[in-house]
Amino acid sequence: MIPVENYFVLSSLVFLCGLAGVMFRRNLIMVLMSIELMLNAVNIIFVAASRHLAQVDGQIMVLFVITVAACEAAVGLAMVIALFRRYGTVNTEFLRLLRG
Amino acid sequence: MEAFYFVPEMLFYAISGLILLSSIMVVAARNPVTSAIFLVVDLFFVAALYAQLDAHFTAAIQVLVYAGAIVVLFVFVIMILNLKPDALRGIRFSLGEALVLLITLAGFVIVGSELAHTAPDLTMPGNLGSAAIEMAGGNTYVVAMRMFTAFLWPFEIASVLILLAIVACVMIAKKDKRVTKS
Repeated sequence: MIPVENYFVLSSLVFLCGLAGVMFRRNLIMVLMSIELMLNAVNIIFVAASRHLAQVDGQIMVLFVITVAACEAAVGLAMVIALFRRYGTVNTEFLRLLRG
Repeated sequence: MEAFYFVPEMLFYAISGLILLSSIMVVAARNPVTSAIFLVVDLFFVAALYAQLDAHFTAAIQVLVYAGAIVVLFVFVIMILNLKPDALRGIRFSLGEALVLLITLAGFVIVGSELAHTAPDLTMPGNLGSAAIEMAGGNTYVVAMRMFTAFLWPFEIASVLILLAIVACVMIAKKDKRVTKS
């Protein structure tokens, strides 16, 4: 039996990878992929805690998170396509409409 | 029997190492296609981790939905946009961003240590251990029974969310006549 803390550590590290990707990558598609990585890190904790607490509610939450992640990826990629069509780039350094 | 005692732990450490390696590669690879391929590897090993945790249905859904649908969507969009690999100057390390990473790490440490101390008291363990799930008819059966009774309304709301996402995708990605005319 692997202690549940190990899963927390693994999940934190994967989440930090995703956060670093969101902050340091300038490609909008890479940012979306990093967000998927972060959601996935949260799912690891859900399943590990579900096993640890002898319940299945965590696994059901994972199914909902996967649903939301799929919707988010689809809408995000549609927005990426719309932005590319409008501005000809997906580099976040050139997409500064809200920066003032 | 003694010889097999360490196998799950070795499996866990091997899978964790591969998950970490591939998620670092997702973030660090310059070519978006390389990142997408490593994302598939990462999600596949997370599915292996779920299977090791006796969450068989979740593992199957992980492979089907994430690796089968979402990453294919990413690769499709990368192909449509014909992206070039990033210029390396895209990665610059400012003090504020490093601070954000450090604060997040500190938050994880604080929350994790608090959980380790108080979680067994705060949460009531359920009665669905591995043996009980096995007795009740397997992981998929137990998850389905719980999902379609206690979580029925969230399930229906999720289907409405998917419908909304379909409509939103079509509306957003549709060619805008006013923009293309000018």
